[in-house]
Amino acid sequence: MNTNEDKNWHDLLLRSTPTFAGETVPPYGFVTGTLARLRTETLQQEEFERIGWRALLASLAALVIAATVTLSMNYMDRGGDFEPGVRSLVQMENIQVS
Amino acid sequence: MDEAIDVNGCLQRWKKGDESAAEELIRHLYPVISKIVRTHLPRRDDEKDLVQEILMKTFSRLHQYKGDAPITHWVSRLALTTCLDRLRAQKIRPEVRRSDLTPEESDVFDAAWLTGSSPDAGDAIAARDLVDKILSSLSPEDRSLILMVDLEGRSLQEISETTGWSISKIKMRLFRVRPQLRQMIHKLEERK
Repeated sequence: MNTNEDKNWHDLLLRSTPTFAGETVPPYGFVTGTLARLRTETLQQEEFERIGWRALLASLAALVIAATVTLSMNYMDRGGDFEPGVRSLVQMENIQVS
Repeated sequence: MDEAIDVNGCLQRWKKGDESAAEELIRHLYPVISKIVRTHLPRRDDEKDLVQEILMKTFSRLHQYKGDAPITHWVSRLALTTCLDRLRAQKIRPEVRRSDLTPEESDVFDAAWLTGSSPDAGDAIAARDLVDKILSSLSPEDRSLILMVDLEGRSLQEISETTGWSISKIKMRLFRVRPQLRQMIHKLEERK
């Protein structure tokens, strides 16, 4: 901005200065309201954390169960000579396999 | 300002669940946040809600505060970032035309640019609204930068500490934004 415009701009800002001053003391009820909101949000956060931990533990338990079942089935099937499809056919037709 | 209360003591007490410590912190931080919100947000925005939102953010992120700088500095940065986010979320306004000004704003503009008369203390609100309108065409970051430099008279170093921008970035922004501001004012003059 040139000097004159610069001065005008600063004059305008100077004129508006009082409206930029912040408050030094919170308005009536503000602190109480903020504390209440803070309390609610803290409780919510704790609840979310609890739910999160429970969900995590439940997922881990499900994973362990699934792994155990898979491994035990695999162990049980280890002695078979046939693929699962062939074995079911053999059982269905009652074919004697020596 | 931090000497007014024992900030570290308050933080320790708050971590142990002492609500009176939170109250002390709120009362201590309120003036700092209120000033930033009032400066960086247009006048008609609901500043009380935003101050509360910033306080909520402050408390939820207190674990990130390391204590190597006064808490007011840390909170100032958080407050400014929140104000900028709020400005970004607002609908971008088209450039201001002379016909968009209220009669009061128009009078203030004429007084400042056309007649060059001295400021009248009575029209501070109209002047503020005019400032907000002129700055509304700038990006939130540029708007805040202009106010920090022209209104608050802050040094580049101080702005850098508050915003996290480098000095060269601030200089570049200022260099770019001044002509935009001048152009905006010219347009208002032309539409007289």
